[in-house]
Amino acid sequence: MNNKRGEGMSKVTFDSVEVGEELAPMSRKVTQEVFWKYAVASLDYNPVHCDPEWVKTARPFGITKTVGHGMMTISFMLTVVSNWAYPSMLKITRIDSKLIWPVISGWTVKCTGVISEKHFISSGKNYVVIDLKAENQYGKLLGVCKTEVVFPD
Amino acid sequence: MGKKGLAKYMTTEKQKQFDTDFFKDAETYEVWEEIDFSNLNEIDGQRTFEIKAEDIKFYSEAIMDDNPLMNDEEFANKSPYRGLVPHPIFGTQIIFWCIGEKGRGNWIRTPGARNPGQYLEIYENFRVGEVIHIKMRPYDRYVKRGKYYLRYEIVLYNQDNVKKGKCIGTLILPKTRRDIEKFLEGERGVEI
Repeated sequence: MNNKRGEGMSKVTFDSVEVGEELAPMSRKVTQEVFWKYAVASLDYNPVHCDPEWVKTARPFGITKTVGHGMMTISFMLTVVSNWAYPSMLKITRIDSKLIWPVISGWTVKCTGVISEKHFISSGKNYVVIDLKAENQYGKLLGVCKTEVVFPD
Repeated sequence: MGKKGLAKYMTTEKQKQFDTDFFKDAETYEVWEEIDFSNLNEIDGQRTFEIKAEDIKFYSEAIMDDNPLMNDEEFANKSPYRGLVPHPIFGTQIIFWCIGEKGRGNWIRTPGARNPGQYLEIYENFRVGEVIHIKMRPYDRYVKRGKYYLRYEIVLYNQDNVKKGKCIGTLILPKTRRDIEKFLEGERGVEI
């Protein structure tokens, strides 16, 4: 395989995928630096994520620590899908996410995905549903997501 | 407010322009009980977002995604996509930029608002050079387990009015203006 991800990999086709197939998992260690950088990337400067002093009294989640952006957790989950889909020109069309627990600095977020449904419509419209979940290093469930991916032919 | 921690990461043109004061003009934000559901007309965002390569690349860098289709222009230009492909959640940045800081429709900036999960539809990937504008409207409002939810719709269009994507956003909002005031004072404003 080439050193550039996606190059040299076999193309994923609708015929080649099966319900129950697991996508390559990924994990990310998060710190306050990660929260700050994501705030800059998303332009979401909510002090819940950015101000370690302010949260000590505001305790917006009942704790005295900053928490990661929900959209950061959703982004981590979707990376599992985009790593799988983009090299084969598959289209991510729907994303339905639910955030269950906020991410705290120092945790490792582990994301996994499995193909849960395969929809036979017609060429260009066939799609699969991928169930994603994000957990911390202790197995605590942080978020879940259902994503639809359409096969172009 | 961790401003030094933030400033060192600001590299793109938009990041350098954008105001990091999340509480600015907070008195103009609508709380849950104030949202006018008798007027469901679409609201235009305050700004347009011209997509630059640096915007796409920074977003993938921030989430530690090293996919070369998102961050290597030479590689992406030679791929069948013929250009950078943004991360599927890249639209977050566009929405925060376009919404602006004042008035109706900026619910995601409401002090104390919380994100319980979002629904997104992507019709076409965003591309470098497109100029995106958004339209918003409130969609639903409900109480569940003692929390006050707002559901709203944001549609994203390019400069040719091609619909690029849609977000049915959900937020847990402060119910009253006093809840926002408590949040600004550094007190618990929304119960968990």
